[in-house]
Amino acid sequence: MTRKKVNLAYIANDSARKAAFKKRKRGLLKKMSELSTLCGIQTCAIIYSPYDPEPEIWPSPLGAQSVIARFKSMPEAEQSRKMVNQESFLRQRITKAKNQLKKQQRESRELEMTQVMYRSLVRDQGLQNLGVVDLNDFRWLIEKTVEEIDERIKSLRQQIITPPQVVTAGTSSNHVNHTGQEIIGLRNEEMAASHDENPQWLMEMLRSNENDVGRNEAMLPYAFNNNSNSLWSTFNFP
Amino acid sequence: MERKSKGRQKIKMMKMESESNLQVTFSKRRSGLFKKASELCTLCGVEVAIIVFSPGKKVFSFGHPSVEPIIDRFLTRNPPQINSGTLQLIEAHRNASVRELNMQLTQVTNQLEAEKKRGEELKRMRQASQAQCWWEAPIEQLGLPQLEQLKLSLQGLKKNVAKQSDRLLFQASNPPPAQFYGAGSSINQSPNPLDTNNIPYYAKNMNNVGFTGNAMPRVYNLGYGRGFF
Repeated sequence: MTRKKVNLAYIANDSARKAAFKKRKRGLLKKMSELSTLCGIQTCAIIYSPYDPEPEIWPSPLGAQSVIARFKSMPEAEQSRKMVNQESFLRQRITKAKNQLKKQQRESRELEMTQVMYRSLVRDQGLQNLGVVDLNDFRWLIEKTVEEIDERIKSLRQQIITPPQVVTAGTSSNHVNHTGQEIIGLRNEEMAASHDENPQWLMEMLRSNENDVGRNEAMLPYAFNNNSNSLWSTFNFP
Repeated sequence: MERKSKGRQKIKMMKMESESNLQVTFSKRRSGLFKKASELCTLCGVEVAIIVFSPGKKVFSFGHPSVEPIIDRFLTRNPPQINSGTLQLIEAHRNASVRELNMQLTQVTNQLEAEKKRGEELKRMRQASQAQCWWEAPIEQLGLPQLEQLKLSLQGLKKNVAKQSDRLLFQASNPPPAQFYGAGSSINQSPNPLDTNNIPYYAKNMNNVGFTGNAMPRVYNLGYGRGFF
């Protein structure tokens, strides 16, 4: 099988066209046969070509006549309901493809936006390059992510509260009734110790950017532009 | 990488056992059959009629140029009509519009393929960066302190996004004489100690045209409320 991409247009070269016709006709009739067998249904095909005065008939003249008879016995409305010609069929396919394209574009955009969101936490991604619609969607995405985080936080806290024994490898044992602030404070050493995948450069960046508050706001990575926040001071960096 | 489906399987050439599978198979194969017939007509310039009865007793048919005349021609064993001038004109029109539709279909299909590739590329980059940046990992994998920290960062980001949005809206209603989009802050230029291989090249490739990755114009970038909603 060639698997070359075929240009959907009349084949100008006579011999190539004839060869294509033979091959494709054979393939088409094979598909007809398979469809008929696999689904246990009646089908027929009639093909008129310049290569043969007689039409190609599948499954056979008699078989085709029987199918056609059954077809004609149906009400007009039923006959034409699912009837298509080249034009209508192609239009259907175009519509379907356009819808798939839109869907794919939406997905890609969300993926891209997610990446930008995470990147933005570490360095300025140039928000000024975005228009209002993009910014809106961006904000929506951030909100959605925060919601998911909240859900997860809630369920984690549930897990901490419900089991009778709280098992932790680290120092702090009793998390019940602690607020978020204190949990972070308590867990700090645990985190710094056990999560070595936080690269060193990130820690240093956290530290260095806290000092840069004077600079143009838009240039600062957003994570550290939290003027209201005393939480950051609970992070004791070594 | 999980497999989404079993892939192509060799199938027994007999009536399918599962009713629902049969329905699905019919639907897909009928569609494919018509597609093949359509291609045959376009590529080889032949006339075709196909009639298919569905498992649900409905009937589907495809015909080029049209189902009925071909059936009648077969039944009555008539030779094809001699094409009068008008008929030839009609046929020429029809062929022209079919040609156009085929071109359009090819175009949209190519766009779809390109967009799929882009999606794959984005997914790949996402996986790569997840390996390096803990905050990009799926939420289920993060611990409580990390979640809290991430949440704060995101909220900070959101504030800035809102600020920028307000800024734009304000400037839209009070246009200053000079250009207000900063000339300076091209992220590609700022020397940054973080510009190590810890941050994949993607960051450097961010276009200055909003959320496009790609030379193709994005309708939703024109900002007529075409976003997610």
